[in-house]
Amino acid sequence: MTLQELYQIIDGNYDHAVQIMRMEKLVARYISRFPKSGVNEALQEAGRSMDPARMFETAHAMKGVCANMGFDKLSAAAGEICEEFRPGNARSISDDEIRAKLAEVDAMYRRTVEGINAYEQQ
Amino acid sequence: MIQSTAIHRRRQVLVVEDQELNRDILGMILEDDYDVLYAENGAEGVACMREHRETLSIVLLDLMMPVMNGFEVLELVREDEELRHIPIIVLTAEKKAELKALQLGAADFITKPFDMHEIILARVGRIIELSEGRRLISAAERDPLTGLYNRGFFFEYADQIRRYYRDLRMDAVVINIERFHSVNDFNGREFGDRILRRLGEEIRGCLAGTEGIACRAEADQFFLFCQCTDYRAMLDRFQQSVNEFSKRVAIRLRMGVCFGTGDRTPGMLFDRARTACNMVRGSYKGHLMIYDEEMHERELYSQRLLNDLGQAIEERQFAVYYQPKYDIQCHPPRLNSAEALVRWKHPELGLVSPGDFIPLFEKNGLIHVVDNYVWGEAASQIAEWRSKYGFTLPLSVNLSRMEVFDPTLERTLLQLLEQYKISSKDFKLEVTESAYTDDAEQLVAVIGQLREYGFEIEMDDFGSGYSSLNTISSLPIDVLKMDMKFIQNVEENSKNFRLIELILDIAGYLGVPVVAEGVQTSTQMQLLQNAGCEYVQGFYFSRPLPAEEFEKLIIKEIEAAKERKS
Repeated sequence: MTLQELYQIIDGNYDHAVQIMRMEKLVARYISRFPKSGVNEALQEAGRSMDPARMFETAHAMKGVCANMGFDKLSAAAGEICEEFRPGNARSISDDEIRAKLAEVDAMYRRTVEGINAYEQQ
Repeated sequence: MIQSTAIHRRRQVLVVEDQELNRDILGMILEDDYDVLYAENGAEGVACMREHRETLSIVLLDLMMPVMNGFEVLELVREDEELRHIPIIVLTAEKKAELKALQLGAADFITKPFDMHEIILARVGRIIELSEGRRLISAAERDPLTGLYNRGFFFEYADQIRRYYRDLRMDAVVINIERFHSVNDFNGREFGDRILRRLGEEIRGCLAGTEGIACRAEADQFFLFCQCTDYRAMLDRFQQSVNEFSKRVAIRLRMGVCFGTGDRTPGMLFDRARTACNMVRGSYKGHLMIYDEEMHERELYSQRLLNDLGQAIEERQFAVYYQPKYDIQCHPPRLNSAEALVRWKHPELGLVSPGDFIPLFEKNGLIHVVDNYVWGEAASQIAEWRSKYGFTLPLSVNLSRMEVFDPTLERTLLQLLEQYKISSKDFKLEVTESAYTDDAEQLVAVIGQLREYGFEIEMDDFGSGYSSLNTISSLPIDVLKMDMKFIQNVEENSKNFRLIELILDIAGYLGVPVVAEGVQTSTQMQLLQNAGCEYVQGFYFSRPLPAEEFEKLIIKEIEAAKERKS
């Protein structure tokens, strides 16, 4: 599996990742550290308490890290949660709907991590 | 050009970002061009800024972070004197956050994700450049001793005030310290610096909350561009502050003021204020001088004379006149010698008074130009009359204090004697009494040397200076020339006559003859003759005359001598 194929499998944006890191080698090096970044774990943990400040912080962190990895869809999904809890913004969806979005983000994250692990192991 | 590695060193950048991956990606973008430091949150970032405050060029700051977020960092840095000079670029993707960060003092922002490396590097580079430029300007803008502006920036800002705030009529004020170099010499430079700092503080305090600005223009000279209704009170305030600071050493301030008008540039105003301040020098009337038009005209006139001196010498505009000195103990009085006096026939200004140009050239170190001219003319005249009439009439010329200390003086005078084949005893030198007051020791040595060559020294204006009876006895002189003030009122005031008698007694004690200057009437002449004065110079015998007119006196003297013989 090539790196480009990995990005297709995990629904990432290969071109964007290369644009950010300039070299495929560097993209590979950075995404290998992504599973240990802890951004999803922090977000899921915040989702259990549904603390608005914590939700905003962790979603914001996940959005930023994923954007820099070229995981645009994952970044956008975290961004939706982030905007929902941004201080000053009115809530537009219920906690249950948030939980559904968190599950969606978690599934996308797992698929991404699995893909990265598979790429690493070959 | 000096090349310093310190100037061209790699700049240090701090990345404050809680997400390790983001931090590292940013580091990867920057590390080819910069030395990169990292911090995981705002508190760590501030600690790192403090530790590297001298070397850190810029901070890239994430806004959303645990412990201390980016906004809190910006607020803290804004209030921190030690850190506020370090520029901060915020890392954000939010428009609202950008605005808030800029309002809190952020220099710029970089959007996430970090996909535009060139833009990131360009922004970082530009902000560093701007910040260093600003720091350089800020360092150059202020005088490190007083914290006031430096001269160049001061004039730039003064000009801006004049250009953009035309309704503000700002005055130019120049302040300096009387004999500041002596204050430094006697009390040390550190003491002098403390005085300047104190004065700078007081000026800053005085101008606080006003539109006024100030600078230390040079050494002990301060310029203020301000508005004030009572400059006397302003000077008193500064003087009092300096007095409180320096109780042991007396410090005197001088102030010159030129009122602002719409049509004068700050440069012109300060030239005038400085002139006014210089007029205070040596004045016993007070230490504040307001510039007026009369002062301006006098200044222009002086400058014109200074400018025209070279051409005047070339075109021989200076004329030498001769005023006779008569031996009044002979019957009838006999022509003994004459004093060479300079007149300036300016082609446009007419006859310029020696009272105008001699002190001016003395003050500006140019009197030797005129005196050298007069000496040459006088020496040539002695030779000419000797050849024409077979009669040597000694002439006296003036020797300024500055010339006495000219190492080439002896050579110049001896060359003249050689050139015109005249004797040193026929070329007398007049030195004013006041010249003996400063550095008397060196002056006495030079005069002593000249006397050894045979030059006779006449002490000019005796009685107008401050020679004590003690010092006068040790001065090397051959003739005393009594100041004309003693003669002028001798007929009305018997005390003046007593003073004349005293001077004649002193001269008798010293064993030198006296020349009385400014004698105009026969009564004055008689009194002096009866009192035993040897020589007289003044309108009673003749006003100063051009050489051709003076010759009539010589002819008359020759004829009188013939008559005496026959």
